[in-house]
Amino acid sequence: MFERFLKVLTSSVIKKQLMGLTGLLLCGFLLTHLIGNFLIFVSPEAFNTYAYKLTSTPLIYVAEAVLMGIFLLHLGLAMVLTIENKKARPVGYYMKQPTGRGSTFASSTMPITGIVIGIFIVLHIIHFKFGAHYSVTYGDVEMRDLYRLIIEEFQNKAFAFGYIVSMAFIGVHISHGFWSAFQSLGFNHPKYTTVLRCLSTIYAITIFGGFSSLPIYCFLQGVQ
Amino acid sequence: MSSEEKQLTLNLKVWRQKDGKDKGQMVDYTLEGVSTDSSFLEMMDQLNEKLVVENQDPVAFDHDCREGICGMCSLMINGQAHGPESETTTCQLHMRKFNDGDTVVIEPWRARAFPVVKDLMVDRSAFDEIIMAGGYVNVNTGNAQDANEILVPKEDADLAMDAAACIGCAACVASCKNASAMLFVSAKISQLALLPQGKLESDKRAQAMVEKMDELGFGNCTNEAECEASCPKGIDISNIARMNREYFKSAVVSKS
Amino acid sequence: MTKKLDGKVPEGKVTEKWDNHRFKMKLVNPSNKRKFKVIVVGTGLAGASASATLSELGYNVDAFCIQDSPRRAHSIAAQGGINAAKNYPNDGDSVWRLFYDTVKGGDYRARESNVYRLAQVANGIIDQCAAQGVPFAREYGGTLSNRSFGGAQVSRTFYARGQTGQQLLLGAYSAMMKEAAKGKVKIHTRREMVDLVVVDGKTRGIITRNIVTGEFEKWAADAVLLCTGGYGNVYFLSTNAMTSNGSAAWKAYKKGANFANPCFTQIHPTCIPVHGENQSKLTLMSESLRNDGRVWVPKKQGDKRAPNDIPEEERDYYLERIYPSFGNLVPRDVASRRAKESVDEGRGVGKTGVAVYLDFADAIKRDGEDAVRDRYGNLFTMYNRITDEDPYKTPMRIFPAVHYTMGGLWVDYNLQTTVPGTFALGEANFSDHGANRLGASALMQGLADGYFVIPYTLGNYLVTENLMTDKVGDDHPEFDKCLKESKDRFSRLLNVKGTRSVDSFHRDLGNIMWERVGMSRNKERLEKAISEISDLRKEFWKDVKVTGTDVGLNVELEKANRVADFLELGELMARDALERNESCGGHFREESQTEENEALRDDDNYAHVAAWEFSGDEQTPIRNIEELSFDNVPLTQRSYK
Repeated sequence: MFERFLKVLTSSVIKKQLMGLTGLLLCGFLLTHLIGNFLIFVSPEAFNTYAYKLTSTPLIYVAEAVLMGIFLLHLGLAMVLTIENKKARPVGYYMKQPTGRGSTFASSTMPITGIVIGIFIVLHIIHFKFGAHYSVTYGDVEMRDLYRLIIEEFQNKAFAFGYIVSMAFIGVHISHGFWSAFQSLGFNHPKYTTVLRCLSTIYAITIFGGFSSLPIYCFLQGVQ
Repeated sequence: MSSEEKQLTLNLKVWRQKDGKDKGQMVDYTLEGVSTDSSFLEMMDQLNEKLVVENQDPVAFDHDCREGICGMCSLMINGQAHGPESETTTCQLHMRKFNDGDTVVIEPWRARAFPVVKDLMVDRSAFDEIIMAGGYVNVNTGNAQDANEILVPKEDADLAMDAAACIGCAACVASCKNASAMLFVSAKISQLALLPQGKLESDKRAQAMVEKMDELGFGNCTNEAECEASCPKGIDISNIARMNREYFKSAVVSKS
Repeated sequence: MTKKLDGKVPEGKVTEKWDNHRFKMKLVNPSNKRKFKVIVVGTGLAGASASATLSELGYNVDAFCIQDSPRRAHSIAAQGGINAAKNYPNDGDSVWRLFYDTVKGGDYRARESNVYRLAQVANGIIDQCAAQGVPFAREYGGTLSNRSFGGAQVSRTFYARGQTGQQLLLGAYSAMMKEAAKGKVKIHTRREMVDLVVVDGKTRGIITRNIVTGEFEKWAADAVLLCTGGYGNVYFLSTNAMTSNGSAAWKAYKKGANFANPCFTQIHPTCIPVHGENQSKLTLMSESLRNDGRVWVPKKQGDKRAPNDIPEEERDYYLERIYPSFGNLVPRDVASRRAKESVDEGRGVGKTGVAVYLDFADAIKRDGEDAVRDRYGNLFTMYNRITDEDPYKTPMRIFPAVHYTMGGLWVDYNLQTTVPGTFALGEANFSDHGANRLGASALMQGLADGYFVIPYTLGNYLVTENLMTDKVGDDHPEFDKCLKESKDRFSRLLNVKGTRSVDSFHRDLGNIMWERVGMSRNKERLEKAISEISDLRKEFWKDVKVTGTDVGLNVELEKANRVADFLELGELMARDALERNESCGGHFREESQTEENEALRDDDNYAHVAAWEFSGDEQTPIRNIEELSFDNVPLTQRSYK
């Protein structure tokens, strides 16, 4: 019985479906993350209070663990799948050309964009989660002044630029990944798939545009 | 109107490999007087006729019906499975698609599951093994009821036919950067899952065929649709989605 | 010494023969079936369906195919459909009518009892295939769709788009793979049968050559089924696949199996014409094209104008002119012969002048381009891909090509050849189509033989011949002898070390066959053909050049072996055509025609099957005869005026 379970779990289809599912969850996370970040535009207080509320509940550890788990699963599966895929063709072609009717720039660069995103996430956590710990007090509650940290970090032009470039990688990754996840999960329909592929692009642009607006805004804030 | 027939001189780069154990290499040939009306395989015949005259070993390549239906012909032509024309097998590709003086690179299908037999010939028996795992309806001769007692909605019958049009040439595997066989496997699973005759066993079939495919060492699907683009019969990747559905249903939901 | 062959036709009325026979035949005990081994050579419709069915019954089956997979057999290329008298459209069809049409269509040179059985079991084939999941065309209500095909008066043809052969073959292939999964059918791919092993008058096995390694292998069995298709490739250019060959049947002939009516070949009128010297094969387009296309050539000889520049009054719609009531829908042989006549008169069209036009301009004007695209879109695309011409704008060029061989190994009612234990199924035998095969009947016959006839008749043979106890293994010296002979033959081919390529001989043979044993034959040309082929054969064995060695894959060597057999078979075809001094079906002797230049049968002298018996290399073979009687379908002369 367990053997059967393992066989199913390690089958190409289920691996792909887990890949898609974790990808979609990460997409969902990105969207909530983005919406939260938009509070920067409202006021430092709004943003900092949001961050404080989010981190002051003990549930955050569970949430972080789950998110970490999803991310690691996505990453691990990506590595396993990529290694398997390489092994499936031990002798390569002398010449290989895309047909121009199938693969796209995004689809053919998933592992590369994925690696860049992985590095970005590590840097991102180092910079912000484990970055300078400023304090600020609203009313009688003292909390971390993340707003200040963000503004400061984005004064560094190279850093802001790097951030935007990373967002471009995420956008490219999502533009294929979002649609692709649905395909892996078995959703493909003559009418709706075209819509879904459009949605995939729109989602990718939203994530890229939304997150890129932050460093620009923050940079301009500091210039004042 | 038809283009006038012309004679081409081509620089061919052909993969030569004596047998499964040989390492193999690309070999250059120059072939003159290739008619633009010839098919790609007739060009290969012409090369071989020339090699025989020169006492050289002719190039081995798979081919049979030469009308685009048996699925025996293959060839990676200038880096594309069955060459540059869409929905066309190598045997139906004509030399008028090439220009005088062109360099044409000709390689075998490449995949771990398809070892090279000789030169451009590969062993595709892995596909037979996958079909053997479950690509059929378990009905013995003589058991059938009247054909019209199984009603099939026209729409389903048409979709099943779209999937059943697969000729098993393996261009999907060859063109996939992961050497995945999902389009082939899904076409058969789809055909039978769409028809009431095949539905009865669809759970067992999806599991058996997918797991056999994995076992044989094909790669995984990354939904790039190069398979669909290079399929000479235009088999749609919606079949892969259907297979994913079927497999999930059978492996996770069903009892067996 | 001419013998009279006994077709072993059962007693009784034609409608009851098969039922009576099935009852009378002996059965093999279910638990004993597993003690028998059956060899099936070829995995097309006949071979795959026989392998599957015999294995289901419990026999052990060894199936052999020449390609890399059994799914590639040339049955796959059949486009049009499969006949059965289901009478779903309620248009007056019946088993009797299908039987009647087939005997008449075959121009009274088929065995009535076999044809009736074929018509009888055809309905079961459709049921079986539908149950296997063959995606036949359907009506909106979910029932099966039928169409009229090849000029039939009723709609009895079932189809799966333009790929019926493919879908039926994949159905049979999947049934066989289902049995292979159980280990009951063992599939041996890339193998070629090079000899039949007969010991004391009984078939005991075969010798094969492994195409990849070049090794010769011995296989013992209790019976051998030859499902190896037709021999149309004797003409070099035909619509057959490249590896389709006559060698297995020819080996059986040399071991005593009679070869029946070898001259009966079918030439299909709507093929894409030859483009030049390097052409390797011809492509057929479904004859449904003639439902809407109009065939014509210019009235003037050597008219080189573009088709659309030739005014209406200077065109000769010759089929409509000669056959006002059937017009463009005359049978295949008539349409083909008339096309060749026009070309011979110097009125052929296109660059080579060896083609006639098939014009859709009127159909497009009448029904619109979309309607025509709907009906023939895929054929037009195929034509465009090969010729680079647009048939919506300019007429198609077509020319007849060899397509099917009605002749084949002589078999009795049980499908057994004159060698006990060797059976022939499908196109490889001669039995059901007489001198001309109707459209959509080839698929029907292949599957009928495999699914519904051989499972019964084989068992009867195994029991009556006592093969339960009477076994011969592959250690019998005859196996080694046959293996050595085969090996020697291949070495001989390699050792000729001449100057000419195998293909050049094949091309020459094809030319002789096409010009002299083609659509229209006469005594003088046939005699010439016999001596020319004989000379070519001698030259072949003196001057053929086969490169490479006998170890490993050697495509040239394979081809040489097949062409060597074609060089003998071609002569037999010419000889048979010469001896049959009448016209019937696809065999047109110029000496025997009506005043209107139609085929004239000679029922008094030729209402029989000519079955040729091998009498030694370079010896004139013996022409045996099986008399045919027509008790149910009265003999009439065809007329399509």
